[in-house]
Amino acid sequence: MARNRRHDDDDDEEYEEEEEEEEEEEEEVVRRGKGAGGRKRGRSDFIDDTALEDDEDEEDEEDDDDEDFGRGGGGGGGGRGKKRRSGSEFFELEAAVDSDEGEEDDEEGEDDFINDAGADLPDEEEGRRLHRPSILMGEDQEDVDEIERQVYERYAKSSHVEYGDDATEVEQQALLPSVKDPKLWMVKCAIGHERETAICLMQKFIDRADLQIKSAIALDHLKNYIYVEAEKEAHVKEACKGLRNIYSSAKIMLVPIKEMTDVLSVESKSVDLARDTWVRMKIGIYKGDLAKVVDVDNVRQRVTVKLIPRVDLQTLANKLEGRDIGKKKTFVPPPRFFNIDEAREMRIRVERRRDRDSGEYFEMVDGLMFKDGFLYKTVSFKSISSQNIQPTFDELEKFRKPGDDVNGDVASLSTLFANRKKGHFMKGDAVIVVRGDLKNLEGWVEKVEEDTVHIRPKMPDLPKTLAFNEKELCKYFKPGDHVKVVSGVQEGATGMVVKVEGHVLIILSDTTKEHIRVFADHVVESSEITTGVTRIGDYELHDLVMLDNMSFGVIIRVESEAFQVLKGVPDRPEVVLIKLREIKSKIDRRTNAKDRSNNIVSVKDVVRVIEGPCKGKQGPVEHIHKGILFIYDRHHLEHAGFICAKAQSCVVVGGSNRGHGMNGVDALDSRFGGLRSSSNVLQSPRRLPPRGPPTNFGGRFGGGRFGGGRGHDSLVGRCIKIKSGPFKGYRGRVKEITSGFVRVELDSQMKIVTVKRDEISDTPGAATPFRESRFASGSETPMHPSRTPLHPIQTPMRDPSATPIHDGMRTPLRNRAWAPMSPPSAEPNLHFSRGSRNFAIIRSFVKIFHIATISL
Amino acid sequence: MFFHIVLERNMQLHPRHFGPHLRDKLVSKLMKDVEGTCSGRHGFVVAITGVEEIGKGLIREGTGFVTFPVKYQCVVFRPFKGEILEAVVTMVNKMGFFAEAGPVQIFVSNHLIPDDMEFQSGDMPNYTTSDGSVKIQKDSEVRLKIIGTRVDATEIFCIGTIKDDFLGVINDPGAAS
Repeated sequence: MARNRRHDDDDDEEYEEEEEEEEEEEEEVVRRGKGAGGRKRGRSDFIDDTALEDDEDEEDEEDDDDEDFGRGGGGGGGGRGKKRRSGSEFFELEAAVDSDEGEEDDEEGEDDFINDAGADLPDEEEGRRLHRPSILMGEDQEDVDEIERQVYERYAKSSHVEYGDDATEVEQQALLPSVKDPKLWMVKCAIGHERETAICLMQKFIDRADLQIKSAIALDHLKNYIYVEAEKEAHVKEACKGLRNIYSSAKIMLVPIKEMTDVLSVESKSVDLARDTWVRMKIGIYKGDLAKVVDVDNVRQRVTVKLIPRVDLQTLANKLEGRDIGKKKTFVPPPRFFNIDEAREMRIRVERRRDRDSGEYFEMVDGLMFKDGFLYKTVSFKSISSQNIQPTFDELEKFRKPGDDVNGDVASLSTLFANRKKGHFMKGDAVIVVRGDLKNLEGWVEKVEEDTVHIRPKMPDLPKTLAFNEKELCKYFKPGDHVKVVSGVQEGATGMVVKVEGHVLIILSDTTKEHIRVFADHVVESSEITTGVTRIGDYELHDLVMLDNMSFGVIIRVESEAFQVLKGVPDRPEVVLIKLREIKSKIDRRTNAKDRSNNIVSVKDVVRVIEGPCKGKQGPVEHIHKGILFIYDRHHLEHAGFICAKAQSCVVVGGSNRGHGMNGVDALDSRFGGLRSSSNVLQSPRRLPPRGPPTNFGGRFGGGRFGGGRGHDSLVGRCIKIKSGPFKGYRGRVKEITSGFVRVELDSQMKIVTVKRDEISDTPGAATPFRESRFASGSETPMHPSRTPLHPIQTPMRDPSATPIHDGMRTPLRNRAWAPMSPPSAEPNLHFSRGSRNFAIIRSFVKIFHIATISL
Repeated sequence: MFFHIVLERNMQLHPRHFGPHLRDKLVSKLMKDVEGTCSGRHGFVVAITGVEEIGKGLIREGTGFVTFPVKYQCVVFRPFKGEILEAVVTMVNKMGFFAEAGPVQIFVSNHLIPDDMEFQSGDMPNYTTSDGSVKIQKDSEVRLKIIGTRVDATEIFCIGTIKDDFLGVINDPGAAS
């Protein structure tokens, strides 16, 4: 900014004593004062860079500021004497000052510039502008006492005494612009010349008395526009006429009264740029990189940050040797610590220099400062962002030197605290003090009021409660606590604290049984057990999904934006990270596969892996696809308990849910493997036994399944009808099956005949009482003890034929009895939860029995 | 820790058991139902030692089942924070090891294993001290301290530590053989 440097310097002196965090909002305001003359002024005099601060300033502080300002102006135009002074009434500081900067002595500021001339400022504006007391500059210099007196008088009675801390809402309201006040107009100007334009207007105003604008404002954060305060649009037009930076065609827009305050109010972005805070770079090759603030220069609005350098030594070497660097590369070197030895090897000159201010030694290479491998860079406030910085663990890890005390990092965690949500602390939370004299004191939260947290310290001798600022506290957990992550990457996960490292907790996740690292601040104590995020889009944890390259797998973990998928490769567990879009579809088909001994495996059957890398594992099948089984073994810790295996390398253990039991399986297995496979199509137990002539071979067995309920010998004990051959039309009961032949006990003649397999058909209506079938199939003893829980279902079915129903009930019962995973206490529920399949089986039995009794 | 306490339960009994052995049936069913279960409050029911009282049965309408309130004495096992237990290692992986003390599964994270013990992968994954004198592998017996428990409906899961005085391997079958 082309401004008088001295002015700045003056300010600097003052500001140095001031608080570091000062607002950088600047505004230039040209105010019309009384008796503006056509005096020439140095441009600089009209400007000040002063922070606009909170409204709580006390008025005498404002006063100071004004006076300082005046002095600054005086410094700027020192040689010009009186003319200059009178000019200073044209500007007004929008700025209010932070309360602790009010220590400057009034006298000093006052002595030449303040006099009574300003006392007769137009009063009609007073009401509205009290908060912006005009600088009053007189034509004549008077002695200090006189000035003092005047100042005192002026401000002693001034109404803005009340404008201190206890200014009420109503009083504030009264100050808002009304329809009677001059309006604010927004004028488009050349981009980058906003300040210049405002100053030009100021100058013009001084030069020409007839200009009817009240003020001109350029806001730093608003490009391409300035604001002009005037009664009428015409006045603005008049003022803007002939200005180089304002296009004559430019439209002038009225700022609605409601928005006027917003124009000049400073959003209280509390830029808390203290040392050791984390920031991110906004521009350049370091864009997005995490940096740590090492030094803040509020005056120059610059900040020194520590970064991991992205320096390409080769390019640097080339440059230093004056070789052609070639055209500007788009390639951004990866972040890497700077190694002096490496640089020296490349014959890059490394200077060791002591920093003037800090007294620390830096390695200088081509104007870049390095220390301990980090790059120290001084940048403007604007090129860093300090809001909402959430450094990841990796980033923090890099910044942390080995041997650094974990707790030494406390200060830098302040950035994290800044992101705390409201209501972060709750009564009863265990906390630890991280800053101040009482550091490391533990306690429990008693009460929270705004930023202040009252805690009950753990130490017995301390007062009952102590008040702390929220930022001095951090949540505290002990190993063994059960917690839930409430923010951050791992949000939603729960687990038990395994280790506490400073403010980082290591948690053993409940679901994955893996370690998670989280900030203590991100978790709350909770007894809840959740899996964390279990769903993105249509896909949920443990779904079987088709991936875009025709491979498939089971989702074993859901991360913030991706899934971990255990691919369906049986040889070795292959886990891939898959984005949502890479998933083609969910595979939801119910298919079956055959195990090693050709038994049919369906979903939820328990299988044991008998070969391959997962040999010996056992568990229920969760998914089947293309002959690959995904087995869930709760004792398997990797991959969320999922094991991928070929169906051929597994055996079904125990009963299947679909009704092929264990008995007799082995004996008949090899013989009827073929048969069973052909019946795959009709697996569904919900199907009622086919009634029509069973032209379909499989259909028969599908139906037959219900009889024995045991798959292989399903035909045994069935009532069939012989549909061709010498015994055509006879009905009977199957006694035995040999390859291709069936021995049938005829109902009408007390004899057993052998017929071909394909000469028989199912007759559900067969007449023989089922009682016999029980003896026929032999091996079953009624399983009374376990029957009990089933009774609720059984009862309504009793009437048709109470006894035979036991046969029917047997299968599901046994299933349950065999199911290895079933806890004994959950029996009845378990049965129902096994799905409606069994129920369907039972229902179909009931049907059969009905028919059986009828035909009897 | 084991406790010998009296619990109460409502047992439903099928009418077919009504007869001279009703009481026996009831007790055997009780044992079947209760032993081995876990409740958050009392922990695992290890064994029923006796039946104190069987209340009057109430016939349920519709089903004919009879509900008996039964008071029984039983031994329960509930792990507590801070308790020292002896457990058998069931699995070792790079994150730590799992051990079982009866029905309770306990995980000892590698953060809670002394720093001088390092994970050795291989056929028989184990944690070994640098001098090789102490080894934790499957089937080792360890003494550990429980630092956290998580109680589900059907399971109690604990986190333990051996990073403390007098904790660690107490008998290593691998070394003995």
